[in-house]
Amino acid sequence: MVKKLIILIVISTGLGVLARLIGLDSHQALSLSILSVSILGTLFFWSFRLTFAFLGTSILLITQTIDLDNVIKFSSLEVILFLIGMMILVGLLKDSGFFAWIVSLILRIKNLTATRFLIFISLISGLLACAVDEVTSIIFVVAAVFEICDYFEIEPTPFLIISILATNIGSSGTALGNPIGILIATKSGLTFEDFIIKAFPIMLICLAALIVIVKLWYRKPLREFDRKIKEMGYNDILIRLVSVPPEKELKIALGIFGATLFFIALHHRLEILLNLKANTVLLTLPLISSGLVMAWKHQKARKYIERDVEWWTLLFFMLLFAQAGTLKYTGATDVLARKLSGLAGHSVSYLTGIILWVTTIGSSILDNVVMVAAFIPIIQSFQGLSESLQPLWWALLFGGCFGGNITLVGSTANIVALGILEKEKNIRITFFRWFWIGLTVGVISAAMAWFLLTFIPFYK
Amino acid sequence: MKTQEIMTKDVVSLRQEDNVLDGLNLLFKMKISGLPVVDANARLEGMFTEKDVLSRLLPSYIEKVGKFIYEENPKSTKKKFAELSQVTVGQIMRKEIVTTRPETTLCEVARLMLTQKTRRIPVVDETGKMVGIIARCDILKALAREAEIDLRQS
Repeated sequence: MVKKLIILIVISTGLGVLARLIGLDSHQALSLSILSVSILGTLFFWSFRLTFAFLGTSILLITQTIDLDNVIKFSSLEVILFLIGMMILVGLLKDSGFFAWIVSLILRIKNLTATRFLIFISLISGLLACAVDEVTSIIFVVAAVFEICDYFEIEPTPFLIISILATNIGSSGTALGNPIGILIATKSGLTFEDFIIKAFPIMLICLAALIVIVKLWYRKPLREFDRKIKEMGYNDILIRLVSVPPEKELKIALGIFGATLFFIALHHRLEILLNLKANTVLLTLPLISSGLVMAWKHQKARKYIERDVEWWTLLFFMLLFAQAGTLKYTGATDVLARKLSGLAGHSVSYLTGIILWVTTIGSSILDNVVMVAAFIPIIQSFQGLSESLQPLWWALLFGGCFGGNITLVGSTANIVALGILEKEKNIRITFFRWFWIGLTVGVISAAMAWFLLTFIPFYK
Repeated sequence: MKTQEIMTKDVVSLRQEDNVLDGLNLLFKMKISGLPVVDANARLEGMFTEKDVLSRLLPSYIEKVGKFIYEENPKSTKKKFAELSQVTVGQIMRKEIVTTRPETTLCEVARLMLTQKTRRIPVVDETGKMVGIIARCDILKALAREAEIDLRQS
């Protein structure tokens, strides 16, 4: 504990001193130091991250590095409200039995084979992560994997790892898959349609690559699963046991969620049609839907707010965004962007590579929201470098999502799913059991995204 | 009136190394839902309750899934129950427990029970040694006595 604290102080002070040496002023250096404390705080003292965020932001205010108005401006309330709305909707889906229904769908796979199961859970993990967030979706996929593996008495770990890897890849497919998606969408001007047209195909290609890799990697467990299926006869008995009738409430909840997704997908067109500012519809839709949900379920409205909204995480995000915004406010990001741009020879292609690989590696250790929040003001400072900064934003998105696959603490989905594995099955995965497959999938998917972003003119 | 005046001093307790099925049997025999767990020096270490055993039998993700998906109990539940014979009380008991002191007033103990959603609270001295236990019915009976109401007559 003390050792970690010393490392944190040394690194953040060192960064501040280094920043002064390369020409940043004292406020700029302080904002960089404070942000690095918050970033390292999440790495070394996960349960204290809000303490670091509160104290760090207070220091920035007291030292007049930033003022209160700008703290509020940079804390990105619009993103926070969007996430609150989506969390309430997910709470309704859970209450209405949507996730139980999804689990039952997975258990009902017809003519089950190991390969079919592998493809099905990869696709469901990827697509569900696109529609709700990755941390929510992984729990239900894990539940389904455990039920199937329990029934056939096979070890669930390989299939659990596959679904986590697919979830992290899938979370890059839309702006809803990961908090960094909506963060990037609101800061970059990219619309939900842009995500569907440009990010979704890359996600699908990487998902296909994942299926090929894990089919080779887990040959033995897959053969064992096939043997068990033959020995026990398909999942016919399991299918007869499963019963989640699509009740009226589930249908209404699905209707509300489906309509929300539909209009979110069309937000840009609606904003043009209604002559509204960019992202107004995108950010308002979850509020409208969750408002309707709370009117419909008015007796449970308080429960949705208190139980289903992750206040701890959202408060951390707000203060982190404010701290990252301080870099922009003080002009530190302009200096850093100039240095970075000089390093890349003022080429967007090189910068794309640098951003993609730095965020990939960074997100393998740190929370990807932390990495992305730190990079956003830097990318915004590249304005004028090129006509389009789009490849840089995509690089940030894919680096942030795919990097999470490299280590077992790389993303919240990994931590949640492996926590359930340990609690339910008493299986603790070693760092290297995860690392080799995670590194292979993480590096190959990031390299594929890098190649597509650099060489396909569509992404320029 | 203080806790020490009405608490049960002769407390039946479990040890961490006791088997869960034995612990469960004791709960059934005594017709109560939880028992304290103490070490060799009677220092309180946790509480063993029926609720903890039940939550061990169901998957931990069931609350998040929102509904149970089977028409019948799955075989995993039977398997988990059978595995309980290999599990000790120490592995299942809850360690974060609400305690009170002998000199605490009954209303304060009642407040703790209501806010912490607990049926009974172990009473510990300043060294952490368990000296008694107080249940909801003990408090109600004592408050009735204080109000001079004879529950048997009414």
